[in-house]
Amino acid sequence: MSESTATKTSDEAAIAAQSGRAHLRHLLFQAGPLIALILLMAYLSFATSNFLTVDNLSNVARQSAFVAIVAVGQTFVILTGGIDLSVAAIAALSASITAVLLTQPLALLGFDFGLLPPELAVAIGLLMGLVAGAFNGWVIATFKIPDFIATLGTMTIFRGAALLVTDGLPVPSFDAQRQLPDTLIWVGGGTLFGFPVSALLALLCGLIAWYVLRYTVLGRAIYAVGGNREAARVSGISIERTKIMTYAISGLLAAIAGIVLVGRLNSANALMAEGEELRSIASVVIGGTNLFGGEGSVLGSIVGAAIIGVLGNGLNLLDVSPFWQRIAQGFVIVVVVIFDQWRRRSMTRI
Amino acid sequence: MSEPEILLKLDQVEKRFPGVIALRSISMDLRAGEVQVLLGENGAGKSTLMKILAGEYRASAGTVTIGGKAVSTLTPETAGELGIGLVHQELSLVPALSVTENIFLNRLPRGPLGRINWRKAHDMARRALGELGVSIDPTIEVRRLEVAEQQLVEIARVLERGPRILLLDEPTSALSDGERLRLFDVIRRLKTRGVGMIYISHHLAEIPMIADRVTVLRDGVVVETLPAEKADEETVVRMMVGRTLDEQFPKQVAEIGTPALAVENLASGNSLKDISFTLRRGEILGIYGLMGAGQSEVAPALFGLQPIKAGSVAVDGKPVHFSYSSNAIAAGLGLISRDRRQSLVPMQPVGPNLSLSWLSRRRLLAPLELKREREESERYVKELRVRPSSLTHQLMFFSGGNQQKVILARWMSSGAHTLIFDEPTRGIDVGAKAEVFALMSRLVNEGAAILMISSELNELIGMADRVLVLHGGRVTAELDRDQLSQENLLRHAS
Repeated sequence: MSESTATKTSDEAAIAAQSGRAHLRHLLFQAGPLIALILLMAYLSFATSNFLTVDNLSNVARQSAFVAIVAVGQTFVILTGGIDLSVAAIAALSASITAVLLTQPLALLGFDFGLLPPELAVAIGLLMGLVAGAFNGWVIATFKIPDFIATLGTMTIFRGAALLVTDGLPVPSFDAQRQLPDTLIWVGGGTLFGFPVSALLALLCGLIAWYVLRYTVLGRAIYAVGGNREAARVSGISIERTKIMTYAISGLLAAIAGIVLVGRLNSANALMAEGEELRSIASVVIGGTNLFGGEGSVLGSIVGAAIIGVLGNGLNLLDVSPFWQRIAQGFVIVVVVIFDQWRRRSMTRI
Repeated sequence: MSEPEILLKLDQVEKRFPGVIALRSISMDLRAGEVQVLLGENGAGKSTLMKILAGEYRASAGTVTIGGKAVSTLTPETAGELGIGLVHQELSLVPALSVTENIFLNRLPRGPLGRINWRKAHDMARRALGELGVSIDPTIEVRRLEVAEQQLVEIARVLERGPRILLLDEPTSALSDGERLRLFDVIRRLKTRGVGMIYISHHLAEIPMIADRVTVLRDGVVVETLPAEKADEETVVRMMVGRTLDEQFPKQVAEIGTPALAVENLASGNSLKDISFTLRRGEILGIYGLMGAGQSEVAPALFGLQPIKAGSVAVDGKPVHFSYSSNAIAAGLGLISRDRRQSLVPMQPVGPNLSLSWLSRRRLLAPLELKREREESERYVKELRVRPSSLTHQLMFFSGGNQQKVILARWMSSGAHTLIFDEPTRGIDVGAKAEVFALMSRLVNEGAAILMISSELNELIGMADRVLVLHGGRVTAELDRDQLSQENLLRHAS
């Protein structure tokens, strides 16, 4: 009996040591994206003369802000094990609606509302994003269809709606009755205390999202649904409600990003931000969030967006042709996913 | 008489999984023409050992010698070539294919131009099944068969390959008495042909019927191999459990109180047809049935996870109808599910797993009770002796028994007073089992009511105050504590 107790404790010690090592490795991997970003920036600071300048860094931050905000929303969806392909289309739709309402009088169903107050125009644009996202979630939860297919379909629907709203033309059009408000231009391209406003806004979105995911019932439910749907269900968490909420949040953040982009570009059109849904997904994955759900953080996704932005900027400064830039960015994504898979396998096989 | 040939020899075979050592050091051998019964509680490592021999798992250490040659790597293919056949515990048939196709998967007889000769194939299948003394139409799809018939098809499939070493993992668990006897006839015939067989069973009564030798596993170690004559029930149970029964099953008689859960004529899903019972506070009510008898649908039906077809349920005297598990939780029910993986979020530590059921019915943007979560996690980790006693390690690094304790703590912390334990000890080691049983005793003493659905005869006999036996989705017997025995339970179940 004493012998078997002895083997038992040595087993427990061995298991504890094994899981201790795996735990340490886990923490190290969590910091991985940030370390990669710092290394990349350090390299570019030495390799190029103009990477580490206020102008250039502000520029990178401004360019990355759009993807970063969208990626924050995308993180909610991916954490539940879903994927939202319609974010760029929602951004374009909300941007188009806001821009049209800001520059044209509204006439609807025979009523003439005149020019709306700018705040109302922006609010309507944001609401559209929220509703479009909630629609995604409702379709997926109610009809039990795969997230990928559902948002692939709604992506086209939202682009079509944006084309209808803008008549397929850039906004403001040549007969605009009002120009875009200065505040919006400032949000898109201005600075606050020397920092780009859009980047600060992206950080603010990230912080709020981080709080929601970490300290609210919704956040816990999101991790639980993505980590183990069945466990969430047995514990009385509504999977449908959680999914609808994540898509609504993703839609709202896409709308914010779209409206910020209008400010930066000083115009909107129905086809803006094409392909950005893929960059937002790439940011989330590079940021260390598990594509199958349950693990990850929004701060990682913001770092992921920054890596993509810095990489593009760096390759530009290094005079790499745009064709090669695409190839390089694609490789980064594939390598990160390979690395991530390897990490997961090594964790389950301690 | 010359020494019989040694077909298979294992030397210090070891198998580790993350957080669990399934096999610590297994040394045993198998002779030609013998039936060696392998005994052990759930989690002792029997199925893991079978899967290593069939090439489905790879041993972490140790050597396997087959027919005098050391085999370094076994894959399902090489295992087949070496003459090893495994009859799985879980059926491994393709439900949408015909009986013939399942028996001869990949090896269907072909005519010229590679056309499958169906007539010949069906004839061969009919003959193979005839050997087992059953007549099943070989053209029928496997999913249309009864579980017992499927099990016989599975056995026919493995025998058709003419194995020299046959591994049978609980082959009789779904069979009727008649079918079981016919299977034993086949086994005796195979013995005379020199086939060596390792036979896993929970039915100790089968030992004198077919066994030559008996090997008992416990916690991944061979306790002893002994001749069948010496393997009486008392001896082997003591070896399997490794401690006295009182230590393993710390049953205390609690005061029986008011009805907590009353169920009348409940029907749900495919297999549960009609069950009625009243579970009182302070009581552990067991439910037993063979595979497919309906016991697996009791918990989902009661917990609002699957719709109820007929019947009524009352909790604490009030009629209820749960459409969602959140209703059941609000009424004070708790569920320890049949599959632990269905209950926990593996990539999160103890805290979030413990407090998961607190989220039920709360507003989505309400703040988490993080302070309470930390305090209760610390308390339960200490009280239930969860190892590692860490609040930061992800739960996937915990062993099955410790994961089970965390799930138990979840329901204790959310104040559930009627607990449904669905196969509470599946895949956890003997020591952890005893701790789970001790907790069950404590809970009923504190006024909880426990519904214990189990396929483990020993633990029902050890822990339950009463047992309902199910067969074909209906209750065939209600046995009081003094009527509980392996024979009694099995007789009513089959």
